[in-house]
Amino acid sequence: MFFHIVLERNMQLHPRHFGRNLRENLVSKLMKDVEGTCSGRHGFVVAITGIENIGKGLIRDGTGFVTFPVKYQCVVFRPFKGEILEAVVTMVNKMGFFAEAGPVQIFVSNHLIPDDMEFQSGDVPNYTTSDGSVKIQKDSEVRLKIIGTRVDATEIFCIGTIKDDFLGVINDPSAA
Amino acid sequence: MSIEPFNRLVKLAARAFYDDITTKGDNQPKTGRSDNRGIAVVVLDALTRRQWVREEDLAKNLKLHSKQLRRTLRFLEEEKLITRDHRRETAKGAKIFSAAVAATADGPHHSKEGDEKIKMHTHSYCSLDYAQVYDVVRYRMHRMKKKLKDELEDKNTVQEYICPNCSRRYTALDALRLISFEDEYFHCENCNGELVAESDKLAAVQGVDGDDNVRKRRHEKLKDMLQKMEAQLKPLVEQLSRVKDLPVPEFGTLLAWEARASAAARGINGDLNGNDPSKSSQGYGGTPMPFVGETKVEVAFSGAEGTGVDAKSESENTSLKVLPPWMIKKGMNLTKEQRGEVKDESKTDAGSASAQFSDDKKSLANDDDKTNIQDEYVKAYYAAILKKQQELEEAAKGQQELSSTEVTESVANTNSSRQVGMKAKREEDEDDDIEWEEAPIGGNANENYKVDLNVEASALVEEEEEEDDDVDWEEG
Ligand SMILES: [Zn+2]
Repeated sequence: MFFHIVLERNMQLHPRHFGRNLRENLVSKLMKDVEGTCSGRHGFVVAITGIENIGKGLIRDGTGFVTFPVKYQCVVFRPFKGEILEAVVTMVNKMGFFAEAGPVQIFVSNHLIPDDMEFQSGDVPNYTTSDGSVKIQKDSEVRLKIIGTRVDATEIFCIGTIKDDFLGVINDPSAA
Repeated sequence: MSIEPFNRLVKLAARAFYDDITTKGDNQPKTGRSDNRGIAVVVLDALTRRQWVREEDLAKNLKLHSKQLRRTLRFLEEEKLITRDHRRETAKGAKIFSAAVAATADGPHHSKEGDEKIKMHTHSYCSLDYAQVYDVVRYRMHRMKKKLKDELEDKNTVQEYICPNCSRRYTALDALRLISFEDEYFHCENCNGELVAESDKLAAVQGVDGDDNVRKRRHEKLKDMLQKMEAQLKPLVEQLSRVKDLPVPEFGTLLAWEARASAAARGINGDLNGNDPSKSSQGYGGTPMPFVGETKVEVAFSGAEGTGVDAKSESENTSLKVLPPWMIKKGMNLTKEQRGEVKDESKTDAGSASAQFSDDKKSLANDDDKTNIQDEYVKAYYAAILKKQQELEEAAKGQQELSSTEVTESVANTNSSRQVGMKAKREEDEDDDIEWEEAPIGGNANENYKVDLNVEASALVEEEEEEDDDVDWEEG
């Protein structure tokens, strides 16, 4: 699920960035530092949408660096148990398959793949129905439901299922 | 619109799901007396016999403490079975509701008129929300079934993996760390052994250990439960499918319902302008809704509308609305129909007025006819006024046509003489009315209401007389 929230971060800026472009430098550094990171608490920071407030800079002892407290608005993505996501398959093996929904990695184990889909090894390992009408392989797009998340301080990993109504392949690259 | 299948649905659902609901807190001692299991069923059953009901009245009827009832109702509201409405109102406002509810189910009859307190009280009302009940029951069954089936099919369970060498356990959540890029298997972090999915363990490790026995037993139990559920809830499922394509009875919001109820009450008595009669009489499960209560406004309205409908039934239907006779004055720009209608009607009405009265006398015992009587009374009264007015008009016209040179004196003379005649006639009418108005008093419990009507009516009469006189005299 996406959220638009306000976060705060202390930014350290090298003195060479001071001057009339200080603010721009600060913001671009913030974007570089923050976008794409993941915190267990808020999820993945997708994009910074605005700066709320930049506090007074504080010169650090012994160095020329200055610390600015920056409040910024950003879009974060946090997966939840029970959430339905659309993801791209990245790897298929005997144990199941891995998929990505943006920055989130999801593993679907083979017992959460419908029973009528069989694993086919080979050049392009895949799961296929007996009549061959549905095929899950690398780069397939699937709709899945998250049934569990593992949230670490800097990492979120999910496991999902496609064994439910309206879940499964939504776009088959081999058919296109 | 039939409410019965839905009521059956409510009753079945109540017994299936709310049978053992107790509103007592867990900390209270559960003695035999304080055990109020089944109260939800009782309340729901009671609500199937009502529409909107004031919660105090419901408590009184069910002989429950209002606090206890409120707790149950709050629970039912949370369960989305009923809707509630709270409003601050005076004693008078409450009476309007009582009037509306008077004939539905076992609503109480309020007879006290005198104690009009200005005090505001918050009153709570509740009614069943059939549309929602239908959805809630279906959703509940769906969830029950789904939960059991999911457990049965091991859905939504996190797959576990076990290392056959060192018996270290992993879950699917560790998958990212376990995956090896040499082959397509998971490998133990400890000994690099190939992991086995736990459900396959039976095949991998020979022999059945205790863990699997538990799992198997649980599986059996779930299957059993699912079967039992399907068998026991069969009547409910059947009722749901029966109700599926039926229009859901809707009471609307409290305010809308009140308005509709009183409109329907009037509709039955006066059958007011163009209202679909089937709508007004069947709208509440076929229960007739005589309007017993406030009369002040109703008299004027139903009277006016009553004559209007009479005109319609007696002559052909016209799209033009017939003006109430007391609204027609000299100098008004009226179409022929409007005027002609009224004239027609006044003739027939005046002619049949006495007949109608005698008819009414026969049915006076019937409470439902009370407003009918009021209507007739007013109708007769208007007819009389109208006749007078009409005659005056004709007289004036005749005079004007006779000769413009005629002195106004004579006009005034004829007018006044006719006026006198009319007045006598009207007084007759009035006497008539009073006579038959008295009759129901004997058979009726709430006399004050009748007395009130008379006062009101005669006040009305006087007022109108004056008005008419003014017009006529100015004209002459
Ligand atoms: Zn191991």
